Amino acid sequence: MKTSLPLLLLSFVMACAPATPPPTRETLVLTGTAYDRGLQHGTQLRSKIRSFYTTLMTNSLFPFLSREQPDIATLLKEYDADRYKNGGFARELLLESAKNLERNLGRSGRDELRGIADGSGLTYEEVLILNTFVDTTLAVRGIGLAIRQGRAPVVDSVEFLGLGSDGVDNSGEGTIDETDEGVITPYVPPYFAAAVEIDVRTKLRVVFSDPDGVDPQTVRVRMNEGLFIFGDPALEIVELDATRVQLTFTPLEPLPAASTITFVVSAGDKRIIEIPGPPRASFRRDEEFVVTTRGARLAPRDISRPALTDNRTRPPPFTLGVRGARAASGPLLAHSFALLDANTAHKHTVLLMHRPDTGPAYATVGWAGIVYGISGLNERGVGVACNPSDTLDNSVVGSVLDQVADLSKAKLLASGLPVGFLVKRVLERASNVAEGVDALTEIDPVYGWNCTIADDQGGLEVVELDSDVFRQGQGGVYRYGPTDRDPSMRRYSSLTDDDVISGSSYTRNVDDSITLNLAGQRVVPQRFWSGFFFRSRRVIDNVTRRLAARTEPVDVPWLEALLAEPEVIDRSDSMNAVVLDLKNRTVHSAMGTIPATASPFVATELGR
Amino acid sequence: MKRALLLLLVPTLAVAMETQVLPQGAISVDVGYLRTALDKQWSGDRRALSLIDDIPRYEPGGGLQGILRAKPVAEFDFLLVSALYGITDSLSVGVNVPILMRSTIATNLSWEPGDYQPQLGRAYSLEDFWSWADSMGQPRVTGRDVNTQFRVADIVLGAKYLLPRSAWMKENHFRWSAQLNVALPTGSNADPEEAVSVGTNLWELHAAGDVEAHVSADKHFFVDDHGIYRLNVGADVFYAFFRPRLYTAGKGLKNPLLNNNAFFVGDTYWIDPGDWVAGTVSVDVVPFIGPTFASIVSGGSLEKAHALPPMLTLSASYTYIATMQSDWQSNSPLWDWDREKLWKAGEKNIFKFTGTISFFRLGVPVQLYASYRTQDIIPGRYTRPANVFTGGVRAVVKFW
Repeated sequence: MKTSLPLLLLSFVMACAPATPPPTRETLVLTGTAYDRGLQHGTQLRSKIRSFYTTLMTNSLFPFLSREQPDIATLLKEYDADRYKNGGFARELLLESAKNLERNLGRSGRDELRGIADGSGLTYEEVLILNTFVDTTLAVRGIGLAIRQGRAPVVDSVEFLGLGSDGVDNSGEGTIDETDEGVITPYVPPYFAAAVEIDVRTKLRVVFSDPDGVDPQTVRVRMNEGLFIFGDPALEIVELDATRVQLTFTPLEPLPAASTITFVVSAGDKRIIEIPGPPRASFRRDEEFVVTTRGARLAPRDISRPALTDNRTRPPPFTLGVRGARAASGPLLAHSFALLDANTAHKHTVLLMHRPDTGPAYATVGWAGIVYGISGLNERGVGVACNPSDTLDNSVVGSVLDQVADLSKAKLLASGLPVGFLVKRVLERASNVAEGVDALTEIDPVYGWNCTIADDQGGLEVVELDSDVFRQGQGGVYRYGPTDRDPSMRRYSSLTDDDVISGSSYTRNVDDSITLNLAGQRVVPQRFWSGFFFRSRRVIDNVTRRLAARTEPVDVPWLEALLAEPEVIDRSDSMNAVVLDLKNRTVHSAMGTIPATASPFVATELGR
Repeated sequence: MKRALLLLLVPTLAVAMETQVLPQGAISVDVGYLRTALDKQWSGDRRALSLIDDIPRYEPGGGLQGILRAKPVAEFDFLLVSALYGITDSLSVGVNVPILMRSTIATNLSWEPGDYQPQLGRAYSLEDFWSWADSMGQPRVTGRDVNTQFRVADIVLGAKYLLPRSAWMKENHFRWSAQLNVALPTGSNADPEEAVSVGTNLWELHAAGDVEAHVSADKHFFVDDHGIYRLNVGADVFYAFFRPRLYTAGKGLKNPLLNNNAFFVGDTYWIDPGDWVAGTVSVDVVPFIGPTFASIVSGGSLEKAHALPPMLTLSASYTYIATMQSDWQSNSPLWDWDREKLWKAGEKNIFKFTGTISFFRLGVPVQLYASYRTQDIIPGRYTRPANVFTGGVRAVVKFW
């Protein structure tokens, strides 16, 4: 009785206690062998791992990715089989790829996954899928997107009317009024400005074509923040023939002088796709043309894409590394990572502090049940952060090429190593950037990625990766640092010798893929189809502007503030924001909310 | 043995009172109809919110599709059958059988478009969203769910004891009682596989506790020679205990994207609803006693007929209920919290207005009553204010 009464009272008090929200970010310190660390991870985050797998994979990604089945089955008939129907496509495909990737994970990688499975109660296969789905999904999604773009209207030509006779050099090539000045045909998405120093009344003309016909009512033009659609007096739309539509945009008011203007155009075809729903036309990706008006006095390569706030140009991931004179107190690497939240990933974030039996301690910023992060830092002062970079030079396309002799039996199969395991290899092995690059490039990646590696001695390098399935001579590795220059002797993506910015588009690997026709589908470089391409260019320019405006050396608070800027953060799919302080071996991370920077940055020292 | 049906001859049969009991051997049978309407919940700062939080929907990797807004209105039609029996003049026992005859839930879904989706050439509309969901195996949630299957809710057994009164209490027309109610778990939980479903246990109806202990008191004013008062002021305090309930988690058998949580929640989970502490003050007014006749109800005695309930009694009450935190206990604290945050410790402020017409004095052993209960006058916190209209008929008989 003496003991039961206090217990009763305690239980009553407990029952009345207000509920408190569980943490959406966790920090785990994992020690011992790979299996031990996996087991600790799986045991401590058992509930979150199971919830993450269900809400992200079972309830979201599997059914979502299964929508690609009809599109992909048009090319690869194997996926018409019953086991890929009724929602089975995604899980089967991801599992088949996961098993193919498993061999490259190494014994320690597999042991860590087994530990998570044993601790969490997931099957090993489920843990394997959870740890490999990102790259495979990106590759499959990329193929699906490329297929869809292949049947959407294409841009035949872009013309800024009158530039051939305006007495001004509009191409920046040093010649006035060339015959093709202001004309882009055949159309190649421009990296920099489409034209410069145009008159404020210049008209834009774009011709779209599609074998199914282009639906004039789907034509849209955005000019900075203004939207012009079918029926707008500024927009003249003419059906040239059954397959071509010409739009001519005439500014009703003069364009702002000495300014940088962004035009965004898109159009859909006349064939409505009913399955999978919702019914829709096939739409051309938003194509962007940036111009300057007279008085801006900028060369095409010097333009800086303005920020857009039109709900369709969400900023993709980027990294910014600083060192030397640019850094206030040692090298720093900042990373804004956005990809797939689906209203669930932010509830399952975790900073994993690995203290293995052998090798350096390291920290990764990731999610429950996943052994890696997309960024991390080791105790030797090496940090790495990666951004996806869409490419058809990926291992899944490679698997199709390998089976091209009989596409009726061909399957999509990822090979190589998922980027998170590449990040882990860097952190487990590297003492400096050079060793990090070696670790990063020993095994081909599954998909395209841009990784920035930095060390506490000032090493700073971007490594652009693809799977090199087309054997283009570089092994799928394209490196540059702040001091490296392109053939025009301009820095790739730096303002000074002490900074480098990388986004989700290739800067050096610009011809990431050869152009070919594969079973009726066009395989083209990234800039022709990726939805990231223009958005990445814009966020790089935005960060560059902010960095250029910073006269003082960069420090951690400034980078944290930069990562939280609304113009550079994806408010829907932001997953984490990280500043790696290489000298002080400290990870500053914001996560656990949408966007990630709605949470405060938390500093985690590797030494503790 | 003379065995006849005769009717009750007590001066205190005014059912609105807090301390009402029946005389020994008397039986009261009450058949009522309840219509309940619920269309909102109170936030922690007493704002009226939709019963369901906004549901932001995301295209995986494609940003915000839009925000699904539901403004559900739930309406329930109950048949309430009650019986009360006087074991002694001071102790009555009763049973209360609520039967849900019909539930109607209008989801009233609306849609706020989200990000522009380049692959669609537009932002998702509500139709687009359901088409998208359908492509992933999730059927459209019905706009209106009507269930006419009769379902028994938790049956409540009760006992009320009129506590002994001192001479002073009698002299001053003061009564007090103690009451204990216990619910039988005859109600049902909501179907975990249905997108729109209602349960009929007391926790889901949020109408009463599984075990309630009451202490009540009444004070009559302006009492005539026959014991009929013109004014009564009553009070009641009670503690309502809710037992933890075991629920089955959804496996997505019918709604694979909405109701699929068993894998991380567990096949079953518990809800500890949190108890209530409450108090009521009430006022009963008799504006009209009415004509009185000797009849079978009074055993042919006019004198006794004058002690029968007045023809019209009007009552008003205010009940304050402090609700404690509800606690979900599953394998997933994240999932638990998503529910618990809507069920924090809160309060209800219930006003009830009742009119009772009694035909006893006319020789008909029947009372008609109607009441309206509202929680809208003073907003509550973290509770769902159901407004209830009740109409019913009550007959009281006595065998000997």
